[in-house]
Amino acid sequence: MSEYVPERLKAVRYPKLEHFSEPNVITTTADFIFSWARSHSVFPFTYGLACCAIEMLSSGFARFDVARYGMEVFRPTPRQCDLMIVAGTVNEKMAPVLKRLYDQMAEPKWVISMGACATSGGPFYDGYNVVNGVDKIVPVDVYIPGCPPRPEALFQGLLELQGKIQQHKFVAETPASSAAGEA
Amino acid sequence: MSDQFATDAPDEAVKLALRRIDEATARGEGSDVEGLAFNQVVVNMGPQHPSTHGVLRLVVTLDGELVKDVIPVIGYLHRCKEKLAEKRTYYQYIPIPDRTEYVAGMNCEWGYVMTVEKLAGIRPTRRSEFIRVIMAELNRIASHQVAVGTFTADLAPLGTAMVFYMFRDREYILDLLEEVSGARMMFNYFRFGGVRYDLPDGWVEKCRDLMKRLPKLIDEYESLVQTNAIFLQRCMGKGVITQQDVVDYGITGPNARASGVAHDLRRTRPYSVYPELDFAVCTENHGDVFDRYQVRMNEMRESVKIVEQALDMLPKGPIQIGSLRAPYVITPPPGECYTGQENPRGEYGTYIVSDGSRYPYRLKYRDPCFCNLQLFPKLLRGNKIADAVAISGSIDLVLGGIDR
Amino acid sequence: MALEIGTNPMDMDAIAAHLVAAFTDLQDVRVQEPDTVVARCDKGRLHELAQGLKDDAEVGYETLNFIAGVDRVKHLESVYHVYSWKTNTYLELHVEVPRGKAELATVTDVWPAADWHERESWDMVGIRYLGHPDLRRILLKDDFIGHPLRKDYVDLIENHPHV
Repeated sequence: MSEYVPERLKAVRYPKLEHFSEPNVITTTADFIFSWARSHSVFPFTYGLACCAIEMLSSGFARFDVARYGMEVFRPTPRQCDLMIVAGTVNEKMAPVLKRLYDQMAEPKWVISMGACATSGGPFYDGYNVVNGVDKIVPVDVYIPGCPPRPEALFQGLLELQGKIQQHKFVAETPASSAAGEA
Repeated sequence: MSDQFATDAPDEAVKLALRRIDEATARGEGSDVEGLAFNQVVVNMGPQHPSTHGVLRLVVTLDGELVKDVIPVIGYLHRCKEKLAEKRTYYQYIPIPDRTEYVAGMNCEWGYVMTVEKLAGIRPTRRSEFIRVIMAELNRIASHQVAVGTFTADLAPLGTAMVFYMFRDREYILDLLEEVSGARMMFNYFRFGGVRYDLPDGWVEKCRDLMKRLPKLIDEYESLVQTNAIFLQRCMGKGVITQQDVVDYGITGPNARASGVAHDLRRTRPYSVYPELDFAVCTENHGDVFDRYQVRMNEMRESVKIVEQALDMLPKGPIQIGSLRAPYVITPPPGECYTGQENPRGEYGTYIVSDGSRYPYRLKYRDPCFCNLQLFPKLLRGNKIADAVAISGSIDLVLGGIDR
Repeated sequence: MALEIGTNPMDMDAIAAHLVAAFTDLQDVRVQEPDTVVARCDKGRLHELAQGLKDDAEVGYETLNFIAGVDRVKHLESVYHVYSWKTNTYLELHVEVPRGKAELATVTDVWPAADWHERESWDMVGIRYLGHPDLRRILLKDDFIGHPLRKDYVDLIENHPHV
């Protein structure tokens, strides 16, 4: 049975176990190795507001185990997290709290908007108190539709996010000296 | 945008707490803790907090570790459900009560559907009444599993095994409910006069099989914590709800039954086919945290009995009145109606005012958690902050119902 | 002493007759099957009536279930739904207040549960309860303008800073 490699990862060449059987040198870029490590060890922030929070909880427990993706460390404080999963409806009273908690997270940080309410207001879109989507307050990286999305849908969103994190570059593309030289 | 939590502009609840501290200082109060100077601080718990079970904010006035006063601030999940009722037809509104107490969706839908049926004079079919009872009781077991599971998860932050076992078994129940209605949590299953889908082939056998296994699983949960000295010490004698509190504040559900008040709407104001079913009302005597936990465990066992009886008594017949398609547009005659239903958390009711049109004129929820939460300041006063977490977990709050 | 339910079971018509005889302030008393008596009362007489209903020896309505504020366009209405342990029945009491001066006496000293229910009624419909210990908004943010469950409520841009 051949190994399944998703399309976007075909350009990536992971080190294999046989490479480590003898003293060896692995060449890679700093971007790749750090992003790869980051994507497989994300600390989510328990920002469950409403019904989607129960599905998020279910995905953390035995049947839909989120630990196999390295994301079981749900920390309640934003200062220790990289990923904020907004699960539930955001209303006008909650919005300043959301912004404040997002600001307290350290870079690099990502936001997943889980559920119809966080994406666009959901079934309560015409409420007088409901913010139609959390992207009006914080920038969102992955949207997961559903009311509530199944834990498998949450996992698809998390995998998409993993792909996005692996494209994160923190090393500058153009060296500063050559840019100054060309200018 | 205004940041209501900036320390130089405290909001109303914090201002109230600070005012009360000033009044206490003016009265010349000393500290309750021996040998310490009077120094009460206002600490904010929430709205994002792992132990408040949702977006509940508690403005706690602490004297050392003792809680002097608690001001609960709610409304962080207010989703305008009562106003939305005026913009949706009765049929379009059915998915919304699901999201009130989202852990017990079937029960909440039943509360709404029952009131509209009473207003419009619709009598559901007999088979659908039994199916409704089965779904409601299965959801009761699932809801208690979440309630007790998260309660023990609060005592030691996710450190108890109990929550893992309970959520594992909750998945079996959600599998059954998903087979019938198509969704794991927001079922949208009840209709006026019946239910949407009939039970699929083989469902009754699977349900019976699970009901045979559940009592042993419930015993397994109890064996995990029942003999643990730390659990018992943290739970016994704390957060006592007296019978006078039950009368004064309208406490219903397991919180009231743990104080010895045998008020169970399935028995005192029976509805549907509950008069034909044989089950006991679980009560305990002391009204403390441990008794509330015990009542919920016993209720799970009683629900298993109810489901088994209902499966045995399930008649054949239509699941909806009239043709298979539910009445999409109903216009109940003008009037008001209230029905209460036994939710896993207490008496859940809807009060609907109808003006004869397709839209409800006014819909008001009587939510059990809203009434139970009023008791918080009284319950938490005088306890240590760690006990406050245990007590608030045992009251079993779902913010979707409190804030609507 | 355990709290008993239904120690004085009475027929619904008997309850209605007893209420009519005992309380002159109750108007339009009628029975709504199966377990509710519906009545009306004037806003000035609410507090004494509430105290009397609670203390009544035969049908003591000791527990408040909820208070609903309803906007009836011509006037506002406050609906009190109370429960009697002795007879195991409900009473639904409607009190009308004019729109221009929507004030009503509080019943928190009679039924302590009224505290938050009256706050919610003030928040949503705008009926002011005089004598309430702490009448402020409960579900909406403190600087919200307007009372949403009124029929003439218009969504204001000031209430939506995050649009």
